[in-house]
Amino acid sequence: MDELPYAPRVTKFNRPFWDELRQGRLSTTRCRKCHHITFPPKVLCPECWCRDIEWLTLAGHGHLRSYTEVCAAPQPFQPEAPYVIGLVDLIEDVRILTRIAGTYDALVPDMPVQLAIRQTTPVPLFYFNPQQEVV
Amino acid sequence: MNDVAVVGVGAVPIGSYTEVPDHELLLEAFLEAVGDANVEKRDIDALVFSNPRPYTEQRYFGTFIAGYLGLPLNGLLTEVLGNGMTGGLAFDVAAQQIAQGNARVAIALGVSKELQVDTAEHMKLTMRAVGDVDFHTPFGVTPISWYAMNATRYLHDYDVERRHLAHVAVKNRSHAGLNPLAQFKKPITVQDVLDSRPIVKPLNLLDVPPRSDGAVAIVLADVDTARSLRSDPIYLKGRGFYHEGVHMTSSIPRSLTRYASAERAAIKAYEEAGLAPWDINVAEVYAPCTIVEVLLTEALGFFQPGTGALAAHEGATSLGGAIPVSTDGGCTSRGHPPMVTPLYNIHEAVLQLRYQCGDRQVADANTALTTAELGDYNSTLVHIFSNNR
Repeated sequence: MDELPYAPRVTKFNRPFWDELRQGRLSTTRCRKCHHITFPPKVLCPECWCRDIEWLTLAGHGHLRSYTEVCAAPQPFQPEAPYVIGLVDLIEDVRILTRIAGTYDALVPDMPVQLAIRQTTPVPLFYFNPQQEVV
Repeated sequence: MNDVAVVGVGAVPIGSYTEVPDHELLLEAFLEAVGDANVEKRDIDALVFSNPRPYTEQRYFGTFIAGYLGLPLNGLLTEVLGNGMTGGLAFDVAAQQIAQGNARVAIALGVSKELQVDTAEHMKLTMRAVGDVDFHTPFGVTPISWYAMNATRYLHDYDVERRHLAHVAVKNRSHAGLNPLAQFKKPITVQDVLDSRPIVKPLNLLDVPPRSDGAVAIVLADVDTARSLRSDPIYLKGRGFYHEGVHMTSSIPRSLTRYASAERAAIKAYEEAGLAPWDINVAEVYAPCTIVEVLLTEALGFFQPGTGALAAHEGATSLGGAIPVSTDGGCTSRGHPPMVTPLYNIHEAVLQLRYQCGDRQVADANTALTTAELGDYNSTLVHIFSNNR
């Protein structure tokens, strides 16, 4: 397994996220009181500041809102450059930043994309694949 | 509350000063501004510094400078920090000191040296600033990738071509050619921009800011003091601030082509100044990339959403156009020492309103607007200036 150039911190709170991701599932937190879903997972609801939150598995489908191909990368990421990062609006109405498979010229705004997992160490990382047919 | 005016400005030409220590560079700008304002040591009540880069060897930089100058202060001495807004906040805090009566004369000043480390190494630091370190940074996000995503969406949503964005860089280079402080003066063409190497697609090298060293000082005073110092003080007429409660990207989907914080901050500043967008004669904006200048000219109310790039292409934001923008050359050509870029913008606004801009002077300029920002324009600080009280 490849080692991530820059690894996130695995904490007592966010460990379920990384454990689920290792199993192929993208998850986040939802407020039990106002039902707001946020990403990344947070210890409180950013809408109502309620601490009563629950874990939720996301479907892993969405649309590519926008994207860029990073050609001038920070030093730790230079071996991976160029790479595409994008903003995906998930069907749960949550926006996330992610890597997108493919090149800049092969992508179109609003195209459907689907979750995929890159098995890396110390934690896996998600990315999204463009879909040809509408999901 | 006292009314606030600018009575002196000083700045070094933007460029590379790797052999000059930060404090020596700053003192060049400081002494020029103090001389321009006709203030003496005993007149100065407050120094408000933009926080220098972490690479700056001297820590506690503000008190070090006051010690170097042997300058006692009875108003305030502080260093402020707020991402790319830092220089604008230095000015804002200095203005508050005057308004509150803590100081009769306050100086906003700073130095930003970028060229001590190479770009890829520098980005190791900025990649931890421009996203959530656990959920964004691991993907390899860079500061200007956010602007590139604004650009991808803008080009898709509106009937705008890539060359129209490139024109903004060409326009700013032609302005920079008339500015003795600018880092890059050699004329460029739209084809040069399109042929330059990609940095964050669709933005190329000439769409994005260079790395730059610079230093600026701005002397502020209450209006009575200002008039005793010079016949042509420049008055601060309006101020607006807004932060969206977002760090780079919102978890809740929202527009990528409208800078909502700039719209809200501008409305507040216009209201305070009693002015409207069409009353502004010159705008000096914090726009690291071509797309940012376009989106700002829309957010500030100069053009309708989706029409800013074409308006720039038709010359509306060039010298001689309806609303000249970045008359000093902007971030891409004047240069971009981020911690003091907003102070360079205020420096240019003041020179324009004093009719001291030579061949790049906006004829009959009476009002000027400046911006500074945090993040992907998640937050905006707007100031409006006039040469009429």
